[in-house]
Amino acid sequence: MKALERGPDERMAIEAAQRDPLRFAELYEQNFDRVYAFIARRAAGREEAQDLTAEVFHQALASLERFKWQGAPFIAWLYGIATNVLAAHWHKLGRDPEQLSEDWEQGGTDEIERRAMLAELVESLLPDQRTVIVRRFVEQRSIREVAEELGRSEGAVKQLQLRALENLRDKMGRRT
Amino acid sequence: VNRQEMADEFDSQVEMLLRPRDSARTASDPLLKLGAELRMLPNPEFRSRLKDQLVEDWISNRPDAGSRNTHPLKGAKGGATSGVAEQRECIEGAQALAGIALLTGKRSGLFPADHRSFLVSFASHAALIALIASGIFVVRNTALKPASLTSELTYPLSGKGGGGSGDRSVIQATRGTPPKFSDQQLSPPAIVVRNPEPKLAVDTHVLGPPDIKLPQSNHIGDLISSNVVMPSNGTGAQGAAGDGLGLGLGSGKGPGVGPGSNGGSGGAPFRPTDRITAPRAIYDPQPEYSEEARKVKHQGVVVLALVVDPQGQARNIRVARSLGMGLDEKAIEAVKTWRFAPGMKDGMPVAVQVNVEVYFRLY
Repeated sequence: MKALERGPDERMAIEAAQRDPLRFAELYEQNFDRVYAFIARRAAGREEAQDLTAEVFHQALASLERFKWQGAPFIAWLYGIATNVLAAHWHKLGRDPEQLSEDWEQGGTDEIERRAMLAELVESLLPDQRTVIVRRFVEQRSIREVAEELGRSEGAVKQLQLRALENLRDKMGRRT
Repeated sequence: VNRQEMADEFDSQVEMLLRPRDSARTASDPLLKLGAELRMLPNPEFRSRLKDQLVEDWISNRPDAGSRNTHPLKGAKGGATSGVAEQRECIEGAQALAGIALLTGKRSGLFPADHRSFLVSFASHAALIALIASGIFVVRNTALKPASLTSELTYPLSGKGGGGSGDRSVIQATRGTPPKFSDQQLSPPAIVVRNPEPKLAVDTHVLGPPDIKLPQSNHIGDLISSNVVMPSNGTGAQGAAGDGLGLGLGSGKGPGVGPGSNGGSGGAPFRPTDRITAPRAIYDPQPEYSEEARKVKHQGVVVLALVVDPQGQARNIRVARSLGMGLDEKAIEAVKTWRFAPGMKDGMPVAVQVNVEVYFRLY
């Protein structure tokens, strides 16, 4: 699986964010999909995944000044925080946090990369196709609701849906 | 017809995939497998909301946010004040001086001395001298004046046109300059480019007469947005940039620029005239004095150019005349908290451009 392309200037982005935390936005945009995918794989549902992802980024921003560049990608540091957040959450629920490391070793990275890539590719779709995918699969709205929002017939929306998924499949194929 | 039948058939399978009782079933078709994975993606609104939340939390929790509350000048309004520590020092100083026999009249013999009155008078004078010496006797006046400066941050008053859109971010579109006007819009403007590698790259334009000239820069954005930090396409919903509707840039509706509608450029803030009343400050806490300026007794006036929006809030604050030494920032910080009775035109509140003069004086 080919990893998502990373900017060559990640170190500069980190140092800029350490000087001015408002610049953290760039790091957030670069890493959000992976962190969310990492969390979502282990969360019970979307709401829980979103809460835990928010916690990871809050902790990351709060401790950013302590981050020291050692050549490892920034996402590795974020995964470390995410693991701690998940472990604390599992501990509260009475689950065994040891499963986290086992899960990680069982090919979890490929799945995270795939989901992060999928999220990125959805963003690259044409606006109407992106809207159909988000409304239909993420928000799970009916074809009728999507058709009303876009001002198109239900048949046209179904075709958009099919075309969007075909595009995603092709793009995923080219990336992997 | 075949394509439509395929789409219908595929959608019926998607429907089954999305049913709660069937959501755990494994899809064998590659496209349906992809659909199953898409169900797990985050809501795009969550992504942008979290980004805004991070910034807000950081701003409210940063170290200097707390120290402002304990600043010795906190609570000063239009006159002299001092913190508890300064008051205590002054009183102690006055008590020490009060022990001098001559000043208490004990040896004068000419006039009977009222010791209590004398001590009160002496202590208050000593306190006043101490305050003046320490440079914290501050008078800060503010004045609201009609704008005399032409701001490059406003849209030209060239008509009622406008436009805007966005991608449902919860923050305003990033400040910047719009792309050029064109009679034909092939591609709408975007601040955050969602598709960095389009198959057919086309220059973005806003729809309007090409002879309309607006400031240009490398940063596409909304000229009058207050958001200067976070990359955002704005709160609109049609995939261009801005907080309105349509494929333009700004808070309006249509493919143009600014708060108006139907292309072109419009909606610039008004300036006070006979028919347009100027805004009036109704809540105007005074600014603090910067430590740096207080130490060297730096005084003067900061002029801020700003737009009072129809809701009575100061927008697009910029320094028209700087005083330096941290006083510009203090003036902006205070004026951001001000509330105004908005300017009125034909009985309706409108955005009005004004200048605010903030005086910093030490006595």
